[in-house]
Formats: sequence, structure tokens, C-alpha cells
Amino acid sequence: MNDTIKVNWKQLLCRILLYFVVVLICVVILYPYFTMTVTALKSRSEIFSINGTILPIDVKWSNFADIWEKAPMLRYMINSILIAGGSTLIAMVCGIPAAYALARMKFKGQTAFLGFIIVSQMFAPVVLLIGIYKVMSVFGLTNSIWGLIFINAAFNQAFTIWLLRGTFMSISAEMEQAATIDGCNRIQAMFKVLLPVAAPGIVTTLIFIFINAWNEYTVALCLISTDVYKPLTVGINIFNGYNIIEWQYLFASSLFAIVPVVILFMSIEKNLTEGLTAGGVKG
Amino acid sequence: MSKKASATAAPKGARTLNDRKKMYNILEPYIWIAPSVILMAIFIIVPIFYVFRMAFSEVTRAGRIRGFNGIENFASVLKGNVFSGVLWNTLVWTILVVGLSTLLGFILALLLNNKFKGRKIARAIVVFPWATTLVIQASVWKFIIDTDYGALNTLLKTLGIIETNVNWTPTPEAWFAWEIACGIFVTIPFVCFTVLSGLQSIDASYYEASTVDGANYWQKLFNITLPLVKSSLTVATVLNIIYVFNSFPIIWTMTKGDPANKTDTLVTYLYKLAFYNGKQGEAAAVSVIGFCILLVCASVYMVSTLKKGDE
Amino acid sequence: MKKIIAMLLVLVMVLSLVACGNKADEKTTVTMIAAQYGDKTAEWWAGFEKKFEEANADIDLVVDVVSWNDIYTVVNTRIANNEQPDLLNIDGFADYHADGLLKPVSEWVSDETYAKFYDSFIAESIVDGTVWAIPDLASARALYVNTDILAAAGVEVPTTWAELEKACEAIKAYDPEIYPWGVDMTTDEGQAAFAYYTWNNGGGFVDKDGNWALNSAENVEAIEFIIDMVNKGYTNNDPANQTRYTLQDLFAAGKIAMMIAPTQIESICAEAGNGVNFKAVLIPANEGKANATMGVMDRIMCFENEQTDAEMAAITKVVDAFYDDQPYAEWVVMENFIPATSTGGEICIQLQPDLESWINLVAGAQFYPAAKAEWMDVKQGTINVLQQALLGEDVQTLLNDLQAQIAG
Repeated sequence: MNDTIKVNWKQLLCRILLYFVVVLICVVILYPYFTMTVTALKSRSEIFSINGTILPIDVKWSNFADIWEKAPMLRYMINSILIAGGSTLIAMVCGIPAAYALARMKFKGQTAFLGFIIVSQMFAPVVLLIGIYKVMSVFGLTNSIWGLIFINAAFNQAFTIWLLRGTFMSISAEMEQAATIDGCNRIQAMFKVLLPVAAPGIVTTLIFIFINAWNEYTVALCLISTDVYKPLTVGINIFNGYNIIEWQYLFASSLFAIVPVVILFMSIEKNLTEGLTAGGVKG
Repeated sequence: MSKKASATAAPKGARTLNDRKKMYNILEPYIWIAPSVILMAIFIIVPIFYVFRMAFSEVTRAGRIRGFNGIENFASVLKGNVFSGVLWNTLVWTILVVGLSTLLGFILALLLNNKFKGRKIARAIVVFPWATTLVIQASVWKFIIDTDYGALNTLLKTLGIIETNVNWTPTPEAWFAWEIACGIFVTIPFVCFTVLSGLQSIDASYYEASTVDGANYWQKLFNITLPLVKSSLTVATVLNIIYVFNSFPIIWTMTKGDPANKTDTLVTYLYKLAFYNGKQGEAAAVSVIGFCILLVCASVYMVSTLKKGDE
Repeated sequence: MKKIIAMLLVLVMVLSLVACGNKADEKTTVTMIAAQYGDKTAEWWAGFEKKFEEANADIDLVVDVVSWNDIYTVVNTRIANNEQPDLLNIDGFADYHADGLLKPVSEWVSDETYAKFYDSFIAESIVDGTVWAIPDLASARALYVNTDILAAAGVEVPTTWAELEKACEAIKAYDPEIYPWGVDMTTDEGQAAFAYYTWNNGGGFVDKDGNWALNSAENVEAIEFIIDMVNKGYTNNDPANQTRYTLQDLFAAGKIAMMIAPTQIESICAEAGNGVNFKAVLIPANEGKANATMGVMDRIMCFENEQTDAEMAAITKVVDAFYDDQPYAEWVVMENFIPATSTGGEICIQLQPDLESWINLVAGAQFYPAAKAEWMDVKQGTINVLQQALLGEDVQTLLNDLQAQIAG
């Protein structure tokens, strides 16, 4: 009797502690976004006034409307979605089979291939700019969304393959073998048995590639010269002028750029938690 | 292998079929990895060759290659008195950012793996720093810690904690510390979600069994959780080391390596060399040096971990 | 999962539609990279492009407007790949000329347009007797003082360094929260600080014969003076990281009493709306030395792309259209700069009368020795010297080292 009460107290304390820590972390994480939001709502004179206040005195909702007039935000947004979505798709289409081969087959050069993947990551895109431009101009992709899709897909191969290889390896091959005996071929077995079970890893990878491609700046800057193909990251540079950084517009447009990513995340997040059970049922 | 195949006395037709199948079995893995190899070879490996070519060439200020010049670029980089300091900064930056963000990200993942009300929201919030472009992220932090109109000073003044503005970045070291903090801030979500995906695949029955055995929280953490997320954590850490080592926007946005290269890392230094000083050959040499450092680290890792796993 | 895959597939279809949209037709194409001066620059060029193409149906003009932060990266990447634009609007030209990438001005600027430029401006783009670039606009730097703060602190506008130090002391005593003097020694524009003080002490980057003279006694004295100002706490507290843009915003907020800035600061103050009263005066010089004004000039240049005659004619047309007096004057006034052509200048003065004094100021101004091949090294070198000096290194040694590295 006494014991159970003690345990409950301990549990309750743990709960409270958990909430406290989680809330604290969330506050710290949200603080920059809070700053961005309030700054985006201030006028220029208020941002730089000597006696600044936390909240805007004169709330300028119009800043959020102005960015749409000052720059083709919707166009940039569509480009960003196309680039990030396209890269994710291509990176997955190329990466999943490779990860599968590494996890389920034995072949010569396996270690070399894994090494090759790591080596491919060892130069910062900033360094590779000139070479990338050269390759793109050979394919005629210098001023095109396709160029950015391929480059982002390529740069995210390493994470895709390494993470998925680990995920696949942690899943027992027995179920796939059983499916093969039932008459599935390898590809069918992969789609029907392995991938559903590996959903958490796949979703993590998806998010990872999407976000990386969404945030890519340097390559897009050098490859794209026409305004209509610019992604958000490059496009919002218009607020970063020669003499003035328009903080209110820069922050307003940046906040706007986070929205699609968070929506995407929220909509597929449940796969992170439910992947295993879903796979169990299907298996 | 073919000897063995011909030794078995099988009907002729079946044998060729068998051979073909065997051939296919050997080739199959390569077909599976081919798209990935082609993608990376074209879009990454070819540009890497250009970097090497530039590192060993005389490159004009405007960026034209004017022929092979041996190790001259390397010599002039190493001769300068800046390089060793920049290299040191890079190591400090990489170790602190990767080390601390891995630790904190891991703890955060453990927290978020608990079932509690609002978990979905908490997870969505953790994605925020990741979902923001690094340039913007760094701009916000620079804006927050600004001495004169920074949000942090305003906040503390409003709360009555300070009376006059505090200069949060009085020395180059202070700037560098803020940059590292910002680096950690943006890297935590990456580690957190990689670990979280590993945690999700752990079968709950392991925990149930050990609870029956009377294991406490820490025993469970070290005996079950850690070994099982090890693979995803190592992947995340290795890639993280490479990404952070080569990370550019945070330092560039906050200080551009100023003052006098005191906050430069290899990447910001070589960017300045290439595009501000017009020394693209030397910049390429710096990146080759950085590559070699990473290669050595990665080889050590490959030899120690990968071999074990493969055999 | 299936939903996501379906979504991605739809995406690909949309993509292929988007990508097929652009087909080249048989027009003469002129490509150009232009620097982004303000938030209206891109819009202005888009309008120019449209108007130009309407008037010249056979020419396809493609203008890429790039921010100053990124323009060197973009341009160098293109040049390294032999895909330089036909026309480039940027600050320096010496590096491109050194590689033999530029076409002499006589090949692509019509006589009519060429005749419009101020001679003193053209002189800044001559190497070995040939003109390689034309100025697109200029700006001059002056000392801006917040008259309210100076009056409240009870000091006159300083004209010499000694007066300047006294004024700073008085302002500091009046309100320690105000920075008396704004200094920018960042990678962005540290070389400007070097110029402001050495030129006003009879020194500078080069000697009378145009040879590098970085470690002259005048230069050492000048740099020691400004470093001393920083150490005494008379300036903004982080000169190595606070760019002129930050300082201009602080000036507009009334937090900096005096700073050296271009004319744009006036519109920044107006936009900020904090009611700061200010005036522009000459930059103070050391006792007994002549006041020097700094001029800054950006340029347009034409790259050798093995253009056909038709393409060269098209380029000339673009340049003519750009310097057409009325639109050119409007552009200069919009960007808040000083015009580079005399005919454009007259219209500018009508649009904005106080420009006249600035045009006169620029005529007598000193410019960076940007035509010299080592200029980029010198520029970075002087910035490095200032930053090292801030950290307490000896100025004489630093300048000796730099001089040895550049000239030796």
C-alpha cells in the first residue's frame, strides 16, 4: 500500500519534471521565432528606436501584406515546393534501392560504395560551386529548377542511404523471405513487407531531404538567374539591399517560408510513431 | 565459380539458364545501386575533380585556370600565419557543435519519446530550427544579441534584470561562442529526429522483459536503448561531423570571420579567399586540406565500425 | 505513405510542365548581371528590360540583378565556366581586364553616349591609355553630424582631428549611451576607414607616382589615431563587426552622433522617421593637412564573348538606352546616387537640387586605386591591418608587413 503511493508520487514528480523540461525547451526554441514575429510586425523606425519595446507599439500587419507586393512570393514558394519535393522524390527513388542492396545483398565493393558515399559529402557545396555550374551547363540545366532538383537529390544521397541501410538492417529479413516463398519477387517483397515496417526511418529521411532542399541557398543562388525560377531562400534576398536590410520584411517572409515545412511535418509525423505497429499488422 | 558450374553435369539448356541466373545474381546488387551511383558521380564527383584540378593549378583572379603549378597553392596557404588559427577554430567548432548537439539532441529525443499530452505539438516545435534557412537563423540570433537594438537586451531591460544595454560580444571569443551556440541550436533537431526514428523501431517487449527483471531506468537506457539506437546515432554523428565541419552560413552571417580571421573556420576562410581575395587556387587547396582531414577521420571510423559490422 | 508518393508524383508532372515552358527563339540575346543597389533595383531593371524589348523586338535582353553580398560569387562562378555575361555592372574591373576578358569601351559604347561622361570619372577606368569600363553612378562620402546631439553637448562641428577628439569627449560626457563617432572596420568596407583617415593625413594607398606606399609615416599616424579613438571608447563598441549599414541605422535612431557616410543616409534617416536633425560637412583632417573627400564609383563593362556584329550592335543599343538622359537621371535619383554623365546630371539637379553640391564634391574626390592589379590584395590587407590593430598589434609592423607583401 505504502509502496504504491510512493511509486505514484515518484511518477507524478517525473511527469511534472518532464513537462517542465519540455516546456522550457519549447520556450527556448520558440524565442527566436517570437522575436521574428514581433519584429516583422514593427515599423522600421520602431525596430531601431533607442527605447525599444518587446511588443510592437504600432502593430503593422501590413508588413505581411507588403511582401507579396514587393516580391513574387507565391512564385518563389511554388518553386521551392517543386525543388524540395522533386529532390525528395529522386533522392528516395535512387536511395531506397541502394540502401536495400546494401542491407540485404552481399556484393563486391560494398564497403567501397559506403566509403564513396561518405567521401561524396566531404566538400561543402560552396567549394563545389564552380564544378557544379560546369556540369549543369553541359546538361543545359544552369537556369532551371531541374538542375537544383538533381543537385539536392545527389547531396542528400548519403544520409538517405546510410540511414535507410541502418533501418533495413535492424529489421529481420525473415518476413521478406516468407513473402518470397509466397510468390512475391524481391521488389514486391520490399514494397509490401519491408517499407511499411521501415516507415519511421523513411519518414525521417523524407523530412530530412525535404528540409535540406528547402533551405538550400548557395547553389540556387549561382545556378538560377531568372527571377521566375528562384526559390524562396534566394528570392527573399530582395529585402537584403545595398544600404538597408529590411528586417521586418525579411522576417515576415522567413516566417512564411517555415509554414509549408511545418505543415508537411505535422501531416506525416504520425508515421514516426505508428510505423512499427502498422508494419506489425500488415506482416 | 564458373568452373564449378561447368563441372556439374546438367543438361545444356538448363546450364545456360543457370549461368544466366548466376550472372544476374552477381549483377543484381549493382543494378540496385546504379541510379544512386550515377546521380552522385555526375553531380558531386565531377565537381570534386574540378576542385582538385584548381588546387593544383594557377588560377587567375577572375577565376580562369592558367595551367598546372604543383603544390604552390598549398605552400602559400600553409606559409601564411592565419591557417593554423583557422584550423584550430574549425576543430573547436566541429567538436563542440557536434558533441553538444548530439548529447542534447539525444536527451531531447528520449524526452519526446515519452507519451504525454502535447507531444505532437512539442515535436512540431522542435522541427522549427531545422525548418528555417541557416542564413535567416543566424540573422535572427545576430539580431537578438545585438548590443544596441537587440531583442535580448530589450527583454532583460523590460524584465528589470539589467539597466543599460549589455555588450554580449565584447571579444572575438564571445562571438565565436555565440556562433557555436547557434550551431548547436540548429543541429539539435537533426540529431533528435534521427535518434527518435531509431527509438521508434525498438520493440516495446524488450523494455517489458527488463522491467520484469527489475532493471531501473538507467540500466534500461544503457543496456537496451543505447545499443539499439547506436546505428542511427553513429550515422547521424558521422554525417554531422562532415556537415558541421563544412558549415558556412552561420559564421558567415554573424561575423564573416572578423576580426582578423579570429572567428574563421576553413570554409569561411576559403570562401573569402575565393570570392573576396580572388585566390581560387588557394581556396581549392584549403578545401582539399579540409577534405584530407575529414578523410582521415572517416577512415578511422570505417576501419573501426564498418569492418566489424560487415564481417 | 501512399498519399505522400501520390503527392510527389503529381509534383513531378507539374514540374515537367514548368520545365518545358521556355523555348529559345531566334533573337539576339544580350545577357547582363547588374548589382542590386536598393529594393527597387530589381523592379526597375525588369521595367527597363520590358521597355527595351518593346522598342527592339529583335533583341532579347536578360538582366540578372544580384545583391552585393553575392555578386562576386555569382560572377566568378560564371567566369570560371566561361559563361560570363555580355555586360556587367559591378565596382572593380582590374581583375577582369588583367585576364584579358574585357572589350575596350570604344568597341561597344557609341560616341554619343561616351561624350556624356564626366572626364574625371572616365579617367578612373583607364589602364595603359585604354578605357575599359564606363561609370554607371558614383557616390561621395561626407561627415554626417547629428546637430541636436552636438548642440546638447555644447560642441561645434569638428574640422580637425584635435577638435574631433574634444567633441567626442564632450558627447561622451553628455550621454554615455550615445556613440560619438561611428567606425566600420569590417570585411565589408574596412578599406574605406583606412582611406578616410590616411587621406586626411596626407597619406593613402599610393604615393605621388602611383606606387604602393602603405607604410608611410602619415598612414601609421592616421591608423594609430583612429585605433586610439576606439580604445578611448569614443566609437561604436565593435568596429570589426558593425558594418556601415548597422551604423547608418544607429545614426538614424540618434544613437551615433557623427559618422562618415554616403548620401543614402539621408533617405535612411527620413524612412526611419525618428526626427533626427543632421547636416553633411567635410571629413575632418589632421592639423595642417588638406581635407580629402572619398568618391566611390561603380562601373559597367563588356566581356569578350566572341560576339557577332549583330550582338555588338545590340549591346551598344542596350547601353545607349540605359544612359538615355531622362530614364538614367530618374534611376540615379531613385537609387540615391550621383550621376556619372553631365547631361544626366543636369536633369538630376532639376529633380533634386541639392545634388549639385555633391556632384561638385565628387569632381574633386579621391578614388580607390582600383585600376591597379594588386588592389584586391591591398583592400583585404588594409582591412586585416585595421582588425589586427584593434586587437592590439603594432600598426607600424603591420603596415610594414603589408607593404612588403604587396610591393616586395
